[in-house]
Amino acid sequence: MEYPNPPRQILNIINQVFDLEKKIKKHPDSRSFERNLRRINDQFEELGLSTHNPLGELYQETRTDCEASISGELKDKLIITEVIKPIIIAKDGGFNHIVQKAVVIVESLK
Amino acid sequence: MGMINFGIDLGTTNSAIGKFEKGKVEIFKNPVSLKETLPSVVAFRKGRLLVGDKAREFLKRDPLNVVGSFKRKMGTSETYFIESEQKEFTPVNLSAMVLRELKNFVHSGENPEGMVITIPASFDTIQSNATKKAGIEAGFKQVVLLQEPIAASLAYANKDEADNFGDGKWLVYDLGGGTFDVALVSIFEGEMKVLDHEGNNFLGGTDFDLKIIEELVIPHLESEGKFTDLERELKSASGRYNKLFHLLLHKAEEAKIELSTNESTELEFEITDEEGNEHDIYFTITRKDFESILEPFIKATVKQISNLLVNNQLNARDLKFVLMVGGSTYIPFVRKTIGEELDIEVNCNIDPTTAIAKGAAFFAGTKLLVITDKAKVDPAFDAERVLDIKTGYQKATQDLEEYFTALIQGDWLGYHYRITRQDGGYDSGLKPLDKQISELLPLVKDSYNHFDLLVFDESSNPVETNVPIIGIAQGRYSVAGQPLPHDICLEIDDLEEQTTSLEVVFTKNDVLPTKRTLIKELTKTIKKGAEETITINIVEGPGYALPSANQVIGFISISGKELTRDIIKGSDIEITLEMSESRDMKINVYLTLTDQEFEDIFTPSERTVNITRLNEELLVLLEKLNLEIREAEVNEQYVTAKLLNDIKKELRSLMVKSNKIKEDDVTDEKFQIEDQKRKIAQEVDNLTADKRINSVKMEYFKVKKDMLAIFDQFDVLDHEKSALDRILDQERSFLSSNSLGKIKEMTDKMYDLRARIRWRDPSYVAFLFYWFASQQSVMTNKTRAQQLIDEGEKAIEEKKHDKLRVIVNELFGLLPKEAQKRSDFQGGTGIS
Repeated sequence: MEYPNPPRQILNIINQVFDLEKKIKKHPDSRSFERNLRRINDQFEELGLSTHNPLGELYQETRTDCEASISGELKDKLIITEVIKPIIIAKDGGFNHIVQKAVVIVESLK
Repeated sequence: MGMINFGIDLGTTNSAIGKFEKGKVEIFKNPVSLKETLPSVVAFRKGRLLVGDKAREFLKRDPLNVVGSFKRKMGTSETYFIESEQKEFTPVNLSAMVLRELKNFVHSGENPEGMVITIPASFDTIQSNATKKAGIEAGFKQVVLLQEPIAASLAYANKDEADNFGDGKWLVYDLGGGTFDVALVSIFEGEMKVLDHEGNNFLGGTDFDLKIIEELVIPHLESEGKFTDLERELKSASGRYNKLFHLLLHKAEEAKIELSTNESTELEFEITDEEGNEHDIYFTITRKDFESILEPFIKATVKQISNLLVNNQLNARDLKFVLMVGGSTYIPFVRKTIGEELDIEVNCNIDPTTAIAKGAAFFAGTKLLVITDKAKVDPAFDAERVLDIKTGYQKATQDLEEYFTALIQGDWLGYHYRITRQDGGYDSGLKPLDKQISELLPLVKDSYNHFDLLVFDESSNPVETNVPIIGIAQGRYSVAGQPLPHDICLEIDDLEEQTTSLEVVFTKNDVLPTKRTLIKELTKTIKKGAEETITINIVEGPGYALPSANQVIGFISISGKELTRDIIKGSDIEITLEMSESRDMKINVYLTLTDQEFEDIFTPSERTVNITRLNEELLVLLEKLNLEIREAEVNEQYVTAKLLNDIKKELRSLMVKSNKIKEDDVTDEKFQIEDQKRKIAQEVDNLTADKRINSVKMEYFKVKKDMLAIFDQFDVLDHEKSALDRILDQERSFLSSNSLGKIKEMTDKMYDLRARIRWRDPSYVAFLFYWFASQQSVMTNKTRAQQLIDEGEKAIEEKKHDKLRVIVNELFGLLPKEAQKRSDFQGGTGIS
């Protein structure tokens, strides 16, 4: 089934917000930004677009919601250790479809 | 008998498939990767066959089980030994797997029997035959080969603007992700052929990304901190900075794309050097830096072209143009260098990434499909081919994975299966079919997950099964969560109708607990200390009903006396509604301007009724009732009018009662009145709902018809088409919701879209101009209006359309406020 995709610019904005969130989280006084970021994300949800950060999740080749680069030696279990872009999901009449795959770096569990 | 119609670009690095239909070519998207191209890489991992993006991820890390670039070995006796399968695969086998995967892109449900497949101009007879064999192995009954430069030229020749395409010669310059080819092509007396070609199998976009890291990033890092043998530490799998290397490859690719439009870009990342010092790197790369990296590569391609021309005793003047193909020709420096160095017109009129597949499909549209197999049976009508599969899985679960099992009946030897999730997030890969299927399916949290089970026969043709869509609900209908029995709505001002309406916050059947934040605009200014209020009224009941017909379940009133400063009309108010599993409703209101928060928790056992508000609502209901009675009488609906009059009598007596009650009344009379009011409103609503819904639906259908006509008449941009598609996709659900607000919202979206498209049409702008000009007598500044009208007439005469647009905007601003309807309604809830 073919779905219409949201405009590329909207996805770019979501990626920028995601990057901003990552940077802000590193600062101890980040709480004052949280409301604004949450509001921005709420607005995207209103548009039917939600994001998912797969950081720390297991990765395997059947996961087609991520585009992965494998760092280090390849062993059995892979874990997502860096998320460059999040998964963006569009909700459409109760159904989900992925409009942006996450761009991630995965590493073998040590 | 029809035409072949399907064409495939079977590339060294990437492949694509297209279909010719009604004079146009559609390039199919990969159903699981959102892209039009498929990496030509095959992986054999844990009993699964993966082709494309997933396989490419493992190419460098698992070389014993993953193969790419096998097109370079086509027609040779070389084979690839796959460790996990303990088996040899030929380049033909691997190419057939790519072709089969591309066949899955065809979303129209067709099973192409014939295929045009492209080959490089350099392919000899053996290599060409090997490609043909791969096509047959992939299940195509007829395979026609086409040289890539010819395919690209056909893609251009079929474009409307390709008017300079008579007899003559030109070059096709193909610089992709990993390979470079240039071909000299000619048309003579209508026959197109490749005269000569040159190439480099190891040159493309990925080399440029790597060079950005090697020649720009590494020297910069070495000047910033202490690093020993940084390049090795980055590139080696066991290196200290290998993870950063992958991040940099991604960033370098992004930088490359950005530098095609911007003069400079920034690379931003963190690194800790050997001495433990952390560095925040902000590194600017200018287009000039990037071009200095590219120069030797592109100059090398120029040299190859020069050789090609010398060998064919030609010079630039003999050529019409050089046609640019391949993703790397998006880079302006490539186009500029080729144009300047060779002094040939550079032709960038085709989409370089899909041109070859497009050309192949155009060619397929002219080739007759000749299937000699007499036993050919349309699988759709072959009942015996329906494979009987019994499935077993839990339809609702709290787990994030669910076991799916299936038992296969009948003949399945040599068959394969594949399971994909419909949102595009899971693909099992192709696996051999056995008596039993057992898969652990990953689920998306709090969602309905739908999977397709696809089965393919030994020739890779899809086999019909009796398995419907596999549906598994994660986190739904759990014991802990319960669905809402009614909509929960916020009452807002409807400025156009000068009344209030409902906006659905939580929909019936949403699972509790649930939470949502709405950002609304204030529709009135409230001064600090004033009596005026903003009302947050939350009601339970259908979203399409009148606000007063529903049960109030939460209410916050904020008066000017509680404010720390004035709040201005148009400023934001943030309303967060949270409903717990036990149905407590928490309302949090945040006023951006004053930075104040108001919060209250309401439980169903604590009903709150505000008398002032109740009296207001009764009055609104009376006005509405009068209006409905008049309308029913005018339309000669005497039965309805009589019923409404009876209700009116009831309402009047209720109003008398309500007016006698004081705000601090401790009896439960106000609750009784509120209940009765709700019942009355519901009765009015029932008697008139159909009429209102039909009227908004009619308006929607009218503007939709208008829009479809506009799409036929005007050049519509891609994002406008997507916007319309989105509305049409949701049409069924919002029309059947019977929600006035939702239908109106979609109608408004249509109007906006219509206005945006028409705004580009000068005759429409002129029409608007004359309409505004006719309103001069009511405008706020008639002298300025006259000046603008004079300027506008001149702009029309001189065809200065942009200027006319500015004038129309200014004229609109001169209309009196009452004509700009959407602004001055005071009262109601104070939010919209």
